[in-house]
Amino acid sequence: MFTTTQVGSWPRSKDMLRALRDRRLGKISRAEFDRAADGEVRRTVRIQEEAGLDVIVDGEHRRDNFYSFITEKVEGTRLMSLAEMLDEVEDKSGFEEMLSTLDVPASAIRNPTCVGKLSRREPLALDDFKFVKSLTDKPVKITLPGPYLLTRSMWVTNYTKKVYGTQRKMGDEVVRILREELIDLARAGCEFVQFDEPVLTEAVMSEDCGRRTFM
Amino acid sequence: MATRRDVGEELKYASELINAVIDGVTGPRIGLHICRGNWSTKEEVLLTGDYRALLPALTNMRVHQFVLEYATPRAGEIAVVGRELSGNVPGMTRPRELGLGVVNPRTTTVETVEDIMAKAETALEFYTPKQLFLNTDCGFGCFANRCVNVEEVAAAKIKNIAEAARRLREKYA
Repeated sequence: MFTTTQVGSWPRSKDMLRALRDRRLGKISRAEFDRAADGEVRRTVRIQEEAGLDVIVDGEHRRDNFYSFITEKVEGTRLMSLAEMLDEVEDKSGFEEMLSTLDVPASAIRNPTCVGKLSRREPLALDDFKFVKSLTDKPVKITLPGPYLLTRSMWVTNYTKKVYGTQRKMGDEVVRILREELIDLARAGCEFVQFDEPVLTEAVMSEDCGRRTFM
Repeated sequence: MATRRDVGEELKYASELINAVIDGVTGPRIGLHICRGNWSTKEEVLLTGDYRALLPALTNMRVHQFVLEYATPRAGEIAVVGRELSGNVPGMTRPRELGLGVVNPRTTTVETVEDIMAKAETALEFYTPKQLFLNTDCGFGCFANRCVNVEEVAAAKIKNIAEAARRLREKYA
């Protein structure tokens, strides 16, 4: 009763931010990146255990953001900053105004744009699960971007329409990829999988607020 | 990227998508997290509204737990989901759970153990202690370059969640 946990991500240290940037720019190898991230995950797990939480997360240290990180794992995607995407938006001044009104830093927030046929090059979070599990005896929660979030954010008409034609066709592929991942996590014994669907609120609330979204 | 569409259609599609991902997969507890944005510490730029408008989608989703933002007053009353989403998962004999957000990841003030207990007790009107999980409203750094807090504050917040749960277990044992 009253089981305690957290929703997923943890503040990144300066070292981790540097590793993320260097990895993105191809300045360090995957192994060097993982060495940096593993240390951060170890500390985050220890903090949660010391605090007394019941279900442990890895802090999402390896992720650029909670949904863009899939570009590392999924074929047919490209990591694009919102600033880069400005070229693809019809209403440029409206998009820029929205980013500024919502306090969204266009260069620091990146989107996983679908630019080709989607398939899992490697598991999205199975390795993260195995690593956390090696650090704790407690149940572990793994967070994944929800299928609605991905179906909305990955579709950028100029890039995606020629690949999938319709958003729903791309959505079927997103479902397949997430289902494969869930099955892998289930087989590995993962106790808790959380899908993140923050854009659901955007779908019903932004009209009331007279706003658009960047996701 | 989003353009305006019919809200009813979107909600129906969102519930079809998640059910297609999870149906028939056994083992893990499956949660669905919803919040109103976590990219800025300026509360006024994030969305406002309770979960009422989402209920047509949420009631159809066969997830075991809804992990919901509730520490921020922008999320409205717990009764909105308590009344509709505290029964069984559709087609199962398993009661739905609530992962109740009890601390705001964006603020520098640490919620007290008493505040957290009071929030949890509001949910007990609708959920049993077993159905109730206590968690943060969202992550502390969903966007690596836009983390919304520092480690010391995050650690203090989760420590108070754990302490509140310990006292609640004593009280409701």
